[in-house]
Amino acid sequence: MKEVIAVVRINMMNQTKQALTDCGVDAFFAHEAHGRGKGFVNPKVLKGVQQGYEEAAALLGEKGKLYPKRMITAVVEDSKVGCVVETIINTNRTGKPGDGKVFVVPMADAVRVRTGETGVKSIS
Amino acid sequence: MLLMIRSIIRPEKADAVLAALMDAGFPAVTKYSVAGRGKQRGIKIGEVTYDELPKVMLMSVINAADKDFFIDTVMKTARSKGKGAFGDGKIFISDVSESWTISSGVNETAAATEEVTA
Repeated sequence: MKEVIAVVRINMMNQTKQALTDCGVDAFFAHEAHGRGKGFVNPKVLKGVQQGYEEAAALLGEKGKLYPKRMITAVVEDSKVGCVVETIINTNRTGKPGDGKVFVVPMADAVRVRTGETGVKSIS
Repeated sequence: MLLMIRSIIRPEKADAVLAALMDAGFPAVTKYSVAGRGKQRGIKIGEVTYDELPKVMLMSVINAADKDFFIDTVMKTARSKGKGAFGDGKIFISDVSESWTISSGVNETAAATEEVTA
């Protein structure tokens, strides 16, 4: 069982919901979130900052702005992870920075509150 | 290897922590508001008990090698008055099996693993 966490653009929510339903994942929940990514930051400058150069830190400048995003969390069985990740990427991809991220995190167990079922049964 | 760090901090400290992370070279963060309580069972002011206190959750995914530095940065900035108080928050760390950038479709997990082994 895996937890798929996706951070996507807010105007893509409807398409993403539809696409997830089409690939067989009906259950998920969504958060309002604010986020920032690497954006247009030069990776060399970033490496410099991590090594502690102050000139590099100055170059980073005003890149700290947080943009409104939606965070989708779905718990799916292992066999569906590939399909879900692919669907989210294909639906949300415009090719520009800011499209978001998909993380896959191991989930130890899940319980359905109504019946007390655990494991894969509780999410299928 | 990649790690997901979820830090629950005071809302008034969020800006300071975000700025500190930026200076430390961790620009990528997702922030959302949460409500919760800790071991102290909320806070009691006079007759009223508040058992859902507003907090901010910062989520970022980093290389395992940067873990200690990252935690140190958050911890130092989020601690109130430099020595800490109840309600300053928690930091949780979990494994990430895969990480994808949507705009390029690149799976970064593979790259991060190579970096560590190389």
